[in-house]
Amino acid sequence: MRLLLSSVCFFLFLLVSLATAAEPLSNPRSMKFPELTFKIPQAERVLLDCGMPVYLLRDTELPIINMTAMVRTGSVYETAEKAGLSSMVGSVMRSGGAGGMSPEDMDDELEFMASAVESSIGSDMGTVSLTTLKKNFNRTLQIFSDVLLRPDFSEKRIEVFRRQMIEYLRRQNDDPKEIAERELDRTIYAGHPLGDIETFQSVNSIKRSELIDFHNRFYRLDNMLLAVSGDFDKTTLLRELNERFKAGKKQPALITPEIAQPKQEFSSEVIYGKKDVNQTVIRMGHLGLTKDSPDIYAIRILDYILGGSFTSRLTTEIRTNQGLAYSVSSRFDIGRRFTGRFIAETETKAESTSRTINLMKNIITDLTINEVTDAELNAAREYMINSFMFGFTSPSSIVSQRARLEYYGYPVDYLDKYRDNIARVTKAEVLAAAKKHLRPDAFKLVVIGDKAKFDKPLETVGKVRELDLKLDIPKQ
Amino acid sequence: MKYFLSIVAVLLISSNLCAATLEEKVVEHTMKNGMKLLMVERHTSPTVSAWIRFKVGSVDERSDERGIAHLLEHMLFKGTTTLGTNDYASEKPILDAIEATALELTAEKAKREKGSAEKLASLEKRLSSLEADAAKYVIKDEFFELYSKNGGVGYNAFTSRDGTTYLISLPSNKLELWAAIESDRLQNAVLREFYTERAVVMEERRRSYDANPESKLWETFVASSFLTHSYGQPTIGWMSDIENLTRTKAEQFFHNYYAPNNAIVGIVGDIDTKKAIELVERYFGGIKPGKDVPPVTAVEPEQMGERRIELLAESEPTLIIGFHKPAIATPDDYVFDVINMILGSGRTSRFYKKLVIEQQVASDIGAFDAPGSRYPGLFVVSANPRAPHTVKEVEDAVQTELELLKTTPVAERDLQRILNKIEYEEARRMGTNGGLARNLTEYEATTGSWRYMTENRDKIAGVTPADIMRVAKKYFTRENRTVGFITKKGGDK
Repeated sequence: MRLLLSSVCFFLFLLVSLATAAEPLSNPRSMKFPELTFKIPQAERVLLDCGMPVYLLRDTELPIINMTAMVRTGSVYETAEKAGLSSMVGSVMRSGGAGGMSPEDMDDELEFMASAVESSIGSDMGTVSLTTLKKNFNRTLQIFSDVLLRPDFSEKRIEVFRRQMIEYLRRQNDDPKEIAERELDRTIYAGHPLGDIETFQSVNSIKRSELIDFHNRFYRLDNMLLAVSGDFDKTTLLRELNERFKAGKKQPALITPEIAQPKQEFSSEVIYGKKDVNQTVIRMGHLGLTKDSPDIYAIRILDYILGGSFTSRLTTEIRTNQGLAYSVSSRFDIGRRFTGRFIAETETKAESTSRTINLMKNIITDLTINEVTDAELNAAREYMINSFMFGFTSPSSIVSQRARLEYYGYPVDYLDKYRDNIARVTKAEVLAAAKKHLRPDAFKLVVIGDKAKFDKPLETVGKVRELDLKLDIPKQ
Repeated sequence: MKYFLSIVAVLLISSNLCAATLEEKVVEHTMKNGMKLLMVERHTSPTVSAWIRFKVGSVDERSDERGIAHLLEHMLFKGTTTLGTNDYASEKPILDAIEATALELTAEKAKREKGSAEKLASLEKRLSSLEADAAKYVIKDEFFELYSKNGGVGYNAFTSRDGTTYLISLPSNKLELWAAIESDRLQNAVLREFYTERAVVMEERRRSYDANPESKLWETFVASSFLTHSYGQPTIGWMSDIENLTRTKAEQFFHNYYAPNNAIVGIVGDIDTKKAIELVERYFGGIKPGKDVPPVTAVEPEQMGERRIELLAESEPTLIIGFHKPAIATPDDYVFDVINMILGSGRTSRFYKKLVIEQQVASDIGAFDAPGSRYPGLFVVSANPRAPHTVKEVEDAVQTELELLKTTPVAERDLQRILNKIEYEEARRMGTNGGLARNLTEYEATTGSWRYMTENRDKIAGVTPADIMRVAKKYFTRENRTVGFITKKGGDK
């Protein structure tokens, strides 16, 4: 019996090794793969006693807990005269002490625990984040909640940050790429808060009381959501969160002013800035669309085909075929709240500037005239559907994504239907979306470089407005 | 009900597993041909990251091939005898004719003003006509296309002084695609479209260095720090280096060094390590070993005096200070790790507290090791002065902090904070497939074993305040120092 068994084993072994030896190497073009079913990981949504929504995903792989608060605020709520106010609020909430704890003590205690609490405000969202070993969660959470709700805005740290911003403004014209990106945004969003930029005057005019007011207006328990992931015990966590985020005395009603969408005005412009460099920075674009447009799936496909991948039309022609650039790309950043932008960008040696601008425009224009090919459509769809799972590789990215979808008001089934919506896009829809959303005749074109070295005068593209890159720096 | 129970059991098991340390998780396998495999199973998502590190970088280049390691890295995306082409047999003779023409052209151009303009024009014409012929056989970026349609993300590569790495993340059922493409690339790469790609790399150089004052300063600073050792040469090559690179040189470099015995593979993610070993053996096992990469024999002589580098630029002032220091995993290097964290890591670091918050002479400041770690490199401090403070004031303030390290023992609490930070980092770095694959391959390549990642904690724990004073005294000296700075063109002085 024993003998029999072992010979069976031997036979099996033989079979396995034969199979291994005989298995031919497969051709990557026709390779078949085992089935893989991917189910979108879910995060649990609970409400704290104070009513704040919390997304939870427990994962014990690492002894770490991550947490993010998303606050309904943003730089769009500051006026042009006070541009920089929200960045200052976001930064000094963390650097300026909180809950009576001095900035030095907070830094020391957090870094001694190897914990981090960070805060910032973007154009349409404020975030405060926490990461910590689970053994230090309780204490780190306490500091996190102080930073979020009870920042002290130390006068000294406000000045440190103001001076850093001034130094940053002094350096704003050092890097040609940075100049081009800033100027493109300014012209696309002219007249809208998204087009306002910090100036020496605006930064110097911000007062501590304005930071406090801005914080008080937006950082309230009824104006934020939380995302928590990692190695926590749910019951304990919820108890701790409820303790930290208790509804206090009745607050005045939350007033968030309506911010209008940018005006849909399309007109071309050529903006030039002189820098003494051997390579020209080229940026072009105009207003795009928001997530509420029915065209977003066709636009995603269009993005991949036009300038969003290594085999995109822009990269294949300008980089791979003609060797004119290292990096060339385009994208619609689909506005989650405010109308987004379409941008195409590259850098090329001064002597091929005009040639490259024209190539880019022609490649983009072609998409508004002719349908993409079946092969292009399939490649884009397959990539987007097959790589979808990479949006869900860590517990913290999964919970943050869920919270973000709620924050921006995406349909609840957005993720569930995403792949089907991509799969359904047709060539005709891509063309229709291109016609509707791409306006090469109305591009704002920003060119930074040395036009004396260009292959053709920049004026052949259009009337040129030259930037004054000399800064008017106030005396200190 | 039974179903429910088994889920609970699985959860219990997996929560036990997670307490596992890196040592318990890494599976090592060395193949007969010398290729080293490092694997970690992580089942957080159905994805896998695969990194291949070749132990050859720009430090291994001869002076007439500077930039080749990086250009070759670009070229290895161009396909093989079967991928990236629709008919290699017809393509090959044209590729050979292109190379013959390009060699002639490169030689003629190298004559500069003594060359014949007529000959140049005719060679250029011939080259572009041959390139147009060859283009008919090219399937553009087929590696990328295959990976992408299968959901691959982050397909990329990078070259440093110390090595060259190729990486991809895939849905975990598609690891075989990686094995097939990468083993084919290692054996049958065809460096087609070479001279167009060379032009791309020139644009990369303009973008990353020529048109960016801070990077330009950096490049000049590093070059000035090394007179003898090839750590001084920029990985991308100087412009005239790139202009003289040829496919012949790239192929030579490829055949010399891209062998399985010089390769380290890191596979991290939703895999079964036994099956992964079988798969890699099946695709890579038959590849013959080659020569090992010989060590760089040049030794940088003692500096014997300060070097100061100025760059005039359309840019606000910036400052870089460097001191020569030993290679990775040497006794003094662990002390430098501690010094680095004390001076430059986080809001409690001395540089940040003193120069940014208290004195406010700098708007930002950092400390790091560069340009490589296999050979003795530099400890570098980089800072932006905050106007009206000058480069000199920042330099003095940095110097004061360095002097303090020589004379005053570091507090126990500062050392403990570093150990706490390492404890956190040890946990965190196991949290992504790509990050872990990167670290495993990097440290295996530069120190000889991925175990450096776990052992250096004990080494750092052993560093005493006296060690720090000794090392500071030994290395932070005037004769060991190089200072680089930008002066604004047309500025105040």
